[in-house]
Amino acid sequence: MFLFDWIWNMLSFLGLYNKNAKILFLGLDNAGKTTLLGVLKDGRLSQNRPTFHPTSEELSMGNIKFRTYDLGGHETARRLWRDYYTSVDAIVYLVDSSAPERFEESKRELDALLSSDELSNVPFLVLGNKIDVPGTPSEEKLRASLGLTQTTGKGKVTLNPGVRPIEVFMCSVVRRYGYGDGFKWLSFYLS
Amino acid sequence: MDAIYQSEDVDGVRFSWNVWPTSRVEATRKLLVPLGAMYTPMKQNQNTLQVPYPPLHCKGLCTAVLNPFCTVAPPYRTWVCPFCLQHNQFPPHYNGCITDTSRPSELLPNASTIEYLLPTKESAPPIYLYIVDTCLPDDELQKLIDSLTMSLSLIPENSYVGLITFGSMVQVYELGFTACPKSYVFRGNSQTAFKAATLLDKLGAPETLNLASKRFLVPVGECDDSLTTILEEIQKDPCRVPSDRRPQRATGIAFSIASSLLQAVAEQAPHTKLAARVMAFIGGPATVGVGMVVSDDLKEPIRSHHDIVKNKAKHTTKAYAHYKSVAEQAVAAGHVIDIFSCSLDQVGLYEMREMVKLTGGFMVLADGFFHPMFQQSFQKIFSRDPDHQLNVGYNADIQVTTNRYLKICGAIGHVSSLNVASPNVSENEIGIGGTSSWKVCGLDQNSTFAFYFEIANQHNNAIPVDQPGLIQFTTTYQNGQGKRIMRVTTVRREWADPSATISTLANGFDQETSAVLMARLAVFKAETEELPDITRWLDKMLIRLVSKYADFRKDDPRSFNLAPNFAIYPHFMFHLRRSNFLQAFNNSPDESSFYRFMLNRENVSNSLIMIQPTLEQYSFNGPPAPVVLSATSISANTILLLDTFFHVLIFHGEMVAKWRKEGYDKDPQHQTFRDLLAAPKEDAKNILKDRFPYPRYIDCDQHSGEARFLLATIDPNLTHVSNPQEQGNGEVVFTDDVNLHVFLEHLKKFAVQS
Repeated sequence: MFLFDWIWNMLSFLGLYNKNAKILFLGLDNAGKTTLLGVLKDGRLSQNRPTFHPTSEELSMGNIKFRTYDLGGHETARRLWRDYYTSVDAIVYLVDSSAPERFEESKRELDALLSSDELSNVPFLVLGNKIDVPGTPSEEKLRASLGLTQTTGKGKVTLNPGVRPIEVFMCSVVRRYGYGDGFKWLSFYLS
Repeated sequence: MDAIYQSEDVDGVRFSWNVWPTSRVEATRKLLVPLGAMYTPMKQNQNTLQVPYPPLHCKGLCTAVLNPFCTVAPPYRTWVCPFCLQHNQFPPHYNGCITDTSRPSELLPNASTIEYLLPTKESAPPIYLYIVDTCLPDDELQKLIDSLTMSLSLIPENSYVGLITFGSMVQVYELGFTACPKSYVFRGNSQTAFKAATLLDKLGAPETLNLASKRFLVPVGECDDSLTTILEEIQKDPCRVPSDRRPQRATGIAFSIASSLLQAVAEQAPHTKLAARVMAFIGGPATVGVGMVVSDDLKEPIRSHHDIVKNKAKHTTKAYAHYKSVAEQAVAAGHVIDIFSCSLDQVGLYEMREMVKLTGGFMVLADGFFHPMFQQSFQKIFSRDPDHQLNVGYNADIQVTTNRYLKICGAIGHVSSLNVASPNVSENEIGIGGTSSWKVCGLDQNSTFAFYFEIANQHNNAIPVDQPGLIQFTTTYQNGQGKRIMRVTTVRREWADPSATISTLANGFDQETSAVLMARLAVFKAETEELPDITRWLDKMLIRLVSKYADFRKDDPRSFNLAPNFAIYPHFMFHLRRSNFLQAFNNSPDESSFYRFMLNRENVSNSLIMIQPTLEQYSFNGPPAPVVLSATSISANTILLLDTFFHVLIFHGEMVAKWRKEGYDKDPQHQTFRDLLAAPKEDAKNILKDRFPYPRYIDCDQHSGEARFLLATIDPNLTHVSNPQEQGNGEVVFTDDVNLHVFLEHLKKFAVQS
């Protein structure tokens, strides 16, 4: 798998070893949530139908177990998201970066999540997916459109208590590129 | 094939094999798809003979019904049963009816299917008992109440209705008390199911629970005003729900009470066959009391496929057992349970499924009560046939009779066993076996049951030429008007001459029915086995079948050739492996339960649509035409219509979408373009009109998110790996999945291996 041994070492040092982290996959419809989950689950790329009922998978990366919840992204399904906020450890928010016409809608949903009390301390990994599609706007454009010009930094930045880790990573799930760095970043903040 | 379709049309029966081997040994070697039949007892055909008298039964153990394959000879006083060879006397009133030139209807050659009208003592009109979830958002509750109110005008006037609501408590309404709305309230957090006796105590003396007393169940014609008022005044459950909690739903108790009430009514009228259906409208999971599927704490997520496989689903076993016991109670009393699961998330269909499966009820899965998938489906249940009758059957039993060369292994479908261990029952159980009779509480024109058989004859025992392969299906049911009907279908198939080549058997192979019978078996296995094992089993069976029936030279895959009546079978298997029936990823346990439920209900052609959806292409170059279900069928300047049974999707190629966005369809000069856009919509409308439950309807363009319904269904024969630079026709699918071509190449390789 794409996570290397050093993460395993680091996380076991942090006491995360064998802990179940609850991670929500959110984002608009057609952002690539289910495809990402499929790739993480058994390394296989598959073409999926739009998701209706939320589904849950248990993933092992290295020796860490994650419990992921993949929720439908179409408009009616979004009213279900908040049922899953309780005791969440991290949010992976996917954006289809090849569809700039939907950035505004995506920002609206992201802002609602970020301003939710229940999620106030939860780390957010924002993935700008589908950069393999020709003509996709740059990371800077995406950050500007989502209002994420200021994030907490891609390295292992130790943050003051009360500051929520949030970072943007560009990726292509179908080319299996970019999201690994994102998850490495995220795992640093899972505690 | 024509003969097969014709026989289906007349008798509602199709077999996997239409020519049968004469011995068990031969069958084991050659029938590499089980010998089975798909049987639709209420299949409508205008020419079906109907007679107003009861049938004659063989007095032997087989109890078969007189049929055109019986031997009658002068002086026409007796008939010989073709199943057990018993000689039977005709009763005196048949004297004179039978001569050299005339026969009673049931002996005519076209009486392979005949319906008898049975004398009935007394029959009550059907009862509809609604169970209504009150823990819904206000808008949803209102939509549901609107639908329920509307239904009161569709139910036949003399039918009885009853109402139970549930939330944190369960309320049973006494509709017969008209002074003001009156209900009996039951605690929701009880951990034990209600027994009929306890219920009787609370609701009053047993004798007041019969239909005549009109307390809880009242003819709709007498109570529709008061019931409408009650429905309008239904309030959202008063229990306050904190933001980190789920609403308290006592679904399990509500079902127990409904079933016990109907059981009590049935016990008060032991000589009347009650026709009753419990219709449950559910918007979320059971969270309190017996039958809960998840706690009310949102911290605890509802179980997933993963939890179920790993045996970590905390409430599932207990909840399943509870709902199954309700199902058994319903079967014993003869009433149907329908579930309308209308929610964006799971409601626990997975745990509740046996209630619908064992009683032959309707299962609907929709996004909410606002959605046409609920509203249209619900309305369709009350739609009338051309004679203004509801086309449903109640309280049915199906009996299967075979001659002594065959045995019955079992049934797969929405039946429950009546445990009739007659001599023609095989020890080799397939599906619900060990019996030759099954009970079906509710059925309609689509209800189709799969029966599996085995050849029981010993190798050295020659079958006399005058004893053809015979099977008789006898279904007795109560129709919408309360009349008892017995429908008898007797079908005959030929034996293969033991000395003939295998092509005799091969010619009788029906690949469509075979695929459906295998799919039902696979789904039946999915109840107890892990999905990868089932896929491997399907592969193994497929390889064995084609290596027996294909033409090839050993070890030469290029020489591999399948006859036309086998050729599409591997395609069906390819799509079946990829289908939602056998792939759990991106499906919740509730969704899987629903898909599998529908496969177990429908006839051959509808099941085939589910296994291998149909794709129709609309272009400027000619009339609409079916195209291959593959990525290469997608093109920029055509429209496609996809029917997966559960989804009906119109897909506009990118050029078509562009022209439409530019408004060419509004331009009077472009009538042909307007026609092109309209044609698939018209066809889709026709599919939607006939389909139950109402499918998800999607109208989308190429490269849109909704196009994924199509991309996930087609054979991915163009992918980002195989054709990264593909231009022009076809659409690249981003997947690592194996495509049909690779699947078939592997199949050939394995099949020709020596």
